[in-house]
Amino acid sequence: MADSAIVARQFDDAAQQRTAADLGIWIFLATEILFFGALFAAYTITRIRYPEAFAIASRLTNVALGSVNTGVLLTSSLTMALAVRATKLGARKASIAFMSATVALGLAFLAIKGIEYYLDYTGHLVPALNFSYAGPHANQVQIFFYLYFFMTGVHSLHMIAGICLVGVMIAMASRRAFSPAYYTPVELSGMYWHLVDVVWIFLYPLLYLVARS
Amino acid sequence: MISHPVAPARTYVLVWLGLVTLLLLTLGSAYLPLGWLNGVVNLAIAAAKALLVMIFFMHLRSSHYVLRLAAAAGFFWLAILIGLSLSDFLAR
Amino acid sequence: MTAATAHRTYLGAGFSLWSWLSSVDHKRIAILYAVSITVFFFIGGAAATLIRMELITPAGDLVSAETYNKLFTMHGVIMVWFFLIPSIPSTLGNFLVPLMIGARDLAFPRLNLASWYLYILGGLFTIGALVAGGVDTGWTFYTPFSTMFSNTHVIAVAAGVFIVGFSSILTGINFIVTIHKMRAPGMTWFRLPLFIWSMYASSIIFVLATPVLAMTLFLIAIERFFGVGVFDPALGGDPLLFQHLFWFYSHPAVYVMILPAMGVASEIITCFARNRVFAYRSMAYAVLAIAIIGFLVWGHHMFVSGQSIYAGMMFSLLSFLVAIPSAIKVFNWTATLYKGSISFDAPMLYALGFVGLFTIGGMTGLFLASLALDVHLHDTYFVVAHFHYIIVGGAVMAFLGGIHFWWPKITGRIYSDGWARFAAILVFFGFNLTFFPQFILGYLGMPRRYHEYPPEFQVLNVLSSAGASILAIGYLLPLAYLFWSLRYGAAAGANPWRAKGLEWQTPSPPPTENFVVTPVITEAPYAYAESRNG
Repeated sequence: MADSAIVARQFDDAAQQRTAADLGIWIFLATEILFFGALFAAYTITRIRYPEAFAIASRLTNVALGSVNTGVLLTSSLTMALAVRATKLGARKASIAFMSATVALGLAFLAIKGIEYYLDYTGHLVPALNFSYAGPHANQVQIFFYLYFFMTGVHSLHMIAGICLVGVMIAMASRRAFSPAYYTPVELSGMYWHLVDVVWIFLYPLLYLVARS
Repeated sequence: MISHPVAPARTYVLVWLGLVTLLLLTLGSAYLPLGWLNGVVNLAIAAAKALLVMIFFMHLRSSHYVLRLAAAAGFFWLAILIGLSLSDFLAR
Repeated sequence: MTAATAHRTYLGAGFSLWSWLSSVDHKRIAILYAVSITVFFFIGGAAATLIRMELITPAGDLVSAETYNKLFTMHGVIMVWFFLIPSIPSTLGNFLVPLMIGARDLAFPRLNLASWYLYILGGLFTIGALVAGGVDTGWTFYTPFSTMFSNTHVIAVAAGVFIVGFSSILTGINFIVTIHKMRAPGMTWFRLPLFIWSMYASSIIFVLATPVLAMTLFLIAIERFFGVGVFDPALGGDPLLFQHLFWFYSHPAVYVMILPAMGVASEIITCFARNRVFAYRSMAYAVLAIAIIGFLVWGHHMFVSGQSIYAGMMFSLLSFLVAIPSAIKVFNWTATLYKGSISFDAPMLYALGFVGLFTIGGMTGLFLASLALDVHLHDTYFVVAHFHYIIVGGAVMAFLGGIHFWWPKITGRIYSDGWARFAAILVFFGFNLTFFPQFILGYLGMPRRYHEYPPEFQVLNVLSSAGASILAIGYLLPLAYLFWSLRYGAAAGANPWRAKGLEWQTPSPPPTENFVVTPVITEAPYAYAESRNG
């Protein structure tokens, strides 16, 4: 039962503990921005060198599935934000329901991604596995798909981690670990979830929408 | 000290509606022949979406300025990485 | 110290190995790190020994070229990531940050322990790769050699460094949050010791630079494993892309190595000159400026690699700019000595050596930052001498100075000052004999990373190797007298140096909770002159 926050011994009070957690998670999220950022840098530089190849390659991605997935992920951010809100208000059942919805949407995202990967595989677009492209700039089209699988792959790993994290939060909430006085783990999990969403927000146009006109 | 005021659920739903609208906008505009502007528009819309998520879902709106600084620093440093590297690739 | 009082210090809070390996006390974790980095220091040093032994003769007769490549690679990998980068922050930083700001521990003690375990895990990967045959790409892992042509355990070492990178990141997060949120009442930003400012600046680099390295190593590993990737020229990829990503981290990384050393120097020089630091605010701002501008100069490692000449010019200019705050610090340390009451205890000898050798290293960096000179000097021993002056003559000297300064606080024991001063002088002399000839060798054209060389370079190489043997003794001596002091040294008392700073207001060794009563700070740091005059 946590009707009041348990303050760790290094902190003076619950408020200091909370602000420390807030700052800590934001710095961690900044490191994630730079972690993915290296891939965005590789993408940007390669695209500037080979604009036509990236245009061709992007048109080979599945924009329908990619767009649906973006909608799924944005919705999961809504449900997660509502979950954090419900936890803050002490609405335990609502928070569990919203977190479960978040997990479900996250799993849906991964399932759709899996379908996309499968379609890419049958379309011979997987570098090192079965990549073959008969059109122009085939080598650079392959580099695009290398980056596509790398970036969405690392993103999916983060999604899996996020789903596990929210799953743990659901378990803890079921055991009444949270209250209006103490909901920090849920809030931090929410922040992580939103950041993984933000990464996808940038991935989506760069991978799917390069030269659709 | 930092205890974000609890926003009404309505706010979150409105933000979500904004995000979905921007998604439809970016998808739709991608099919308009705008040349190099397509990329700019898409990135601008992505930035707008990201800001909505960070300001409302991630509570940067009511956060201490140091948190906003940390968030900004992440993006700013990424801009340094990409920008200064481009100074090489664009000027060869 | 009697057994009765021992249990009240952090050393007495459990005597089993498990009590150490599971401790979340920042002071115990600092010691875990200290032991680990010392082990890695001597492994990296063993590689250096073999290198210097090979270079005694012009012919490549001690080891094969391939083995030599592995030696300098492992020397670099181990010294950079498993010794230098964690050295001051994870040992002295971990121990002192909470004490210096008046806190009970860091913000996230369990994260701190996790950092150490990540360090060990990364180290195991790297040592495993070493035992299995090593890596020969150079610590810089340049593509396409590392991704396509090397036949050594690149992926294992890349994994090891990837993992240890997260150790740094977690430490950086911990320090930043702790310094922002857990200062004692009255400890305003501009009353912080300069060591804290340098830990803060280093932590900013940790969190912003290391993730890029992590992803870059991941890219190398995947490209090597799958045979396709963004760095492959055959596909249209660019090896220079790797270099940009790699040096974006690795240049700021060298500031991670020097900024903590600068912090240590400020603490020692003020204490042993009995003087307030000259221009405190400019020292603090300089440390931040070095950290930030240091992110903008990485292209100076790539002047001759095919980078745009215009980018080269810009990186050259920025490299000159980053020297300015460093120079300001050197001037200010010197000014701190002026009209001081100077004593030459071992820590001060190390600190003064640091200032001089760092200055030489820094100035030779300016030579290398000049485009035209770098064309001649790149990939020669001039570069090797330059960076060893900064990281060995600078950072390692400061690290040793810090160990000697805070040893009484950490262990509660006094070591033999005579032996310590002798070791410090031996290190200074051995260091200069090792590395000064390398400036000349590089200027004369001897390339780095070669296991054989033209006979006319032999004399200088022999001098350098002779110096290395003296340096080795200088490094081994502290192991002897410091460990001797643990058993036989006199009890230190809370403040044997009569130093200012909160860490000296608590017993030696400190109790687990650091302070019996949370201190309240009312005076500016380094209030030495007042005590002298008053």
